[in-house]
Amino acid sequence: MVKVGLTTTQAIAMTLLVFSGTVQLASLPLIAADAPLWVVMLTALVVNLRFVIFSAGLHPFFRRFSIARRWLLSYFMVDMSFAMFLSRFADAPRDQRGTTEQVWFFLGMSAGSWMVWQTMSIIGIVLAAEVPAQWGLEFTAILALIAITLPLIVGRPALVGAVTAGVIAVVAAGLPLKLGLLVAVVAGIAAAMSAEIMLERRAKNVGGTT
Amino acid sequence: MSDFEIWSVIIALTLITILMRSSFLMLGDYFPLPERVQHGLRYAPVCALVALVTPELFLTQGALDVSLANPKLIAGIAAAVVTLMTRSMIAAMAIGMLLFTVLRT
Repeated sequence: MVKVGLTTTQAIAMTLLVFSGTVQLASLPLIAADAPLWVVMLTALVVNLRFVIFSAGLHPFFRRFSIARRWLLSYFMVDMSFAMFLSRFADAPRDQRGTTEQVWFFLGMSAGSWMVWQTMSIIGIVLAAEVPAQWGLEFTAILALIAITLPLIVGRPALVGAVTAGVIAVVAAGLPLKLGLLVAVVAGIAAAMSAEIMLERRAKNVGGTT
Repeated sequence: MSDFEIWSVIIALTLITILMRSSFLMLGDYFPLPERVQHGLRYAPVCALVALVTPELFLTQGALDVSLANPKLIAGIAAAVVTLMTRSMIAAMAIGMLLFTVLRT
């Protein structure tokens, strides 16, 4: 970050305030290229679209909280906390949404991610020149994601969704503004839902004939 | 960019990001989603995580690279196998990183 012309203070302020790796990575080249403010904002808007999906997923759980609390939960919303939360509580009955346990689970997940992310970012900013890029340390994050994701794929619809999202993400990786990620998520959800509907129908048909 | 411009960008990015994260949490009551869509969102986590991982594994410099010479792919597959067998994240990361490092040299 410092390499594209941000001071150390600015780089640290950015990671603390924005707290989104994709936004930071997408905006830095634009800052370096002296792009106009509206271009940077538009890029952030597109890169962030998946957060709208996450926000919709969490809404049934956190809708009754005060505005201040919802801002706080929003700030902490990242791929990881959203994923761990919804895969654990998606089946919670309607009257058991927004429990204390759920809030603390979300905040706990988030605080963990936040600490690790911010610590590594700040170390990265300060030591940028000294950690050789060849170590490929960023690959550990991908390995961690693999270990987290696989156990979450439970049931055939989820498997169909995962495979679809995975394939589309590779095919659409060339799209600008990280749009491939969004397309993959939407396609994966649609595929999982279709699979679910087909399985339901099949189950009904079998039930009808016996 | 001048100092002032960079601070403006940082503030703007902060606002956009928090506004989009809070979008449905704040306004969801006014824009109710159909039951089907709400139900489908349970698949969003898995889809998002998988979609983050696969391009990293299968693409080298933006081109599809399915071969034994792709260290990320091999290390990723190994990490997946270790995860399925042991459910241990530390083991998956250790084996994955080891393979990745060895295969690259």
